[in-house]
Amino acid sequence: MPSVISISKLAKHYQVPEREAGLKAAAMGLIKRRYKNVKAVDEISFDIQPGEVVGFLGPNGAGKTTTLKMLSGLLHPTSGSTSVLGYEPAKRSHDFLRQITLVMGNRNQLSWDLPALDSFDLQRAIYSIPRDDFKRTRDEFIELLEVGDLVQKPVRNLSLGERMKMEIIGALLHKPKILFLDEPTLGLDVTMQKRIRTFVAEYNKRYGATVLLTSHYMADVEALCKRVVVIHHGKLLFDGDLSKLVEKFSAFKTVGFTANGSSADWSQYGDVVSVEGGRVTLRVPKEKTSAVTSRLLNELAVDDLTVETAPIEDVIESVFSVGKDIVE
Amino acid sequence: MNGLRLAFNYLRIGIMNEFQYRANLYIQILQTFIALGTGLIGLNLVFSQTSELGGWNRTELLAVMGVFIMMGGIIRAAIQPNMERLMEEIRQGLLDFALTKPADAQLLISIREFRLWQLVDVITGLVVLGVALSQMNWLIGVWSVLAFFSALVMGAVMIYCFWLIVTSTAFWFVRVHEIANLFEGLYAAGRWPVGIYPTWLRMALTFIIPVAFAVTVPAEALTGRLSLQTWLGALALTITLFIASRALLKFGLKSYSGASA
Amino acid sequence: MKRYFDYYTSMMKLSVLEQWQYPVANYFYMIGMIAEPVIYMVVWSAVANQQGGMVGGYTPGTFAAYYIVWTLVRQMNIAFTPYGWEWRIREGRLSTTLLRPIHPLHEDVAFFAGWKVVMIILWIPLAFALSLIFKPELNPTLLEGMVFFVAIWMAYLIRTITLSLLGMVTFWTTRVSALFELYFAAELILSGRLVPLSLMPTWVQELAWFFPFRWAFGYPIEVLVGQMSMNELFIGLGMQLAWILFGGIVVNLIWKVAIRRFSAVGG
Repeated sequence: MPSVISISKLAKHYQVPEREAGLKAAAMGLIKRRYKNVKAVDEISFDIQPGEVVGFLGPNGAGKTTTLKMLSGLLHPTSGSTSVLGYEPAKRSHDFLRQITLVMGNRNQLSWDLPALDSFDLQRAIYSIPRDDFKRTRDEFIELLEVGDLVQKPVRNLSLGERMKMEIIGALLHKPKILFLDEPTLGLDVTMQKRIRTFVAEYNKRYGATVLLTSHYMADVEALCKRVVVIHHGKLLFDGDLSKLVEKFSAFKTVGFTANGSSADWSQYGDVVSVEGGRVTLRVPKEKTSAVTSRLLNELAVDDLTVETAPIEDVIESVFSVGKDIVE
Repeated sequence: MNGLRLAFNYLRIGIMNEFQYRANLYIQILQTFIALGTGLIGLNLVFSQTSELGGWNRTELLAVMGVFIMMGGIIRAAIQPNMERLMEEIRQGLLDFALTKPADAQLLISIREFRLWQLVDVITGLVVLGVALSQMNWLIGVWSVLAFFSALVMGAVMIYCFWLIVTSTAFWFVRVHEIANLFEGLYAAGRWPVGIYPTWLRMALTFIIPVAFAVTVPAEALTGRLSLQTWLGALALTITLFIASRALLKFGLKSYSGASA
Repeated sequence: MKRYFDYYTSMMKLSVLEQWQYPVANYFYMIGMIAEPVIYMVVWSAVANQQGGMVGGYTPGTFAAYYIVWTLVRQMNIAFTPYGWEWRIREGRLSTTLLRPIHPLHEDVAFFAGWKVVMIILWIPLAFALSLIFKPELNPTLLEGMVFFVAIWMAYLIRTITLSLLGMVTFWTTRVSALFELYFAAELILSGRLVPLSLMPTWVQELAWFFPFRWAFGYPIEVLVGQMSMNELFIGLGMQLAWILFGGIVVNLIWKVAIRRFSAVGG
């Protein structure tokens, strides 16, 4: 099957004015500015097949939003090629725009003072959706998200999560084939996150849409995405199955024990994560785990020894905490 | 004199803040010149058709314009920014920060902001006034000068009280931001002596929004038109407004702490 | 075509519903705005009275008519300001609109057109009150009325175009308030907003012909108030149309360059 999203050696560089602290430097800056080149996205490539739900991961400033903006046509790439549904996004042809949507958790496009229904009707006009289709889709989404009693209320009176549901309905009324979701669950409580997750999964299933999703919440990614793409410092770090990611980067295990009064330089056994009361937690390379545990048991009188694989959040965190040099 | 020291400190911080944004000074100078230019054009247009307006001649009206610009600068430098900040804090429920400080609440909320660059307007107004006075072949006595300055102070206090009353209503009616827009529109009436307006408007500009006392009365003092009755009336109104606005603010503060508790 | 009609009606409807939420705020806004012409009206009526009842062809009654019609034209003149452009670029609002399959300028035109419907409804009682107080002399013919109706909407388009051009400067630099202020001063003097242009020196009147300001403000008022000849009426409409066409082309060209720049530096 041909891919719906295909990017190759995509790069985006910014010229950022350099600024030094202090009033004098600021004044000098008015006359002569120094710029430095920042590579927000540095030659990344990947393909996405129709109907895939892909998690797009990376720490803040990794280049996720920049990439999404290039894919949706808001930003022109510095170099490299992008193809979405066979279109070049940067041209922003109306036929292309009619088939995609970009949802950003921190932006809103609904009218603040009016019930969401009124804004939905505007979406209908913007995307020239036939009225019958529009009604059917709208009611279907309203039912799926269980917001029937909320669509009549002014948006300003809704909670953050309810508002996000409305945003998502509004963004999907034209039944886009491609969804770019940038932190759609940001700041929402757990039940709300779940609701939105199920909705995205359902939409993907019913309409065979392709989804590229960024999220800070690993639960979103675990629930929705089989495949993840990880970028860091603008570079592609990993592209593949989520389970493979854990395997690849979870090179450590967590060893915990109660020291029982004995004290030693714990760092000779592994990286010290914490020492609280008598409880010591160490991070130990996977292959050394058995050696370390037997040493601990033999050399010191430790109790309650536990060995755990790191949870996925920690795996991701450890991926992101690597220095830039590792990524190069 | 704790209050004075506090006021001085806020003033110092305000001025230091303004120095961070020196580019704003140039924008302010430009804005002042544009406003002065259009004002002079308007004045010239009027006096290209007539030699006097409502009993005031051209030079006298130039003096009125000088007072108008100067008072506008004082309002925008010291009164309006404080009141707008207060309104915003009431709206967002942030007033507690100010109320928990050990000082008189009214003093505190009235001195926290100062827009230094607006003084460009004050200086420009003074220059215009100076030019107008030098064109008048008339010696200004000590009494006129005293009357002028006292009228100016009373006018500023009255405008301050007006703003405080309006802002205090923000405790009950949250959306009053448009008041600023409304005030600016009506203050513009002060460019001309209030005597030329129809009675109902003159009353409104005297007793509802005291533009008459802020601009026309000081100008009258300088041009030898101010009667003792008007001066005493101004004094009485100033005191009344001050007491009323202070009472209203106190009442509002009480209901504010009641609501947030 | 049908598609745009649908979009415009939907957007205007939304805008009307939205603005109707704040009648009090809109009223304050309008009263603040109306103070300005009332001041001019009073001053010029006083001048006319002093000069034996007429100045520059205007009597207190026709001055009243001029400045009352002024208040309506001023409402029609409200468009998205350059400061608004600055805001929407800074807040990332523009990105949202750029992702829609419709030109963002349509959104501006439609939104403010809808707002005007609300403003005109709110304006009627105020105009009525002003008429009772100031007794305007206004006897337009049917033709003048029709031309006026067309002219105020064209005036709205012209001002939208000029303000958009100014607003687009913010794509290149953000310290532009000085430029905006100069623009507004020029507009005040050359449009007929400060005084009817016939009270201006001849050279100013001639100069005003070559700027868009008068066609977006003074001309529609004069259509209804001044005794314009048939010729003058239609020349004015022609000038308005010319400005809309010319301005429209320029806006489109600049827009393309501006968006290319916007897409290069970040959305």
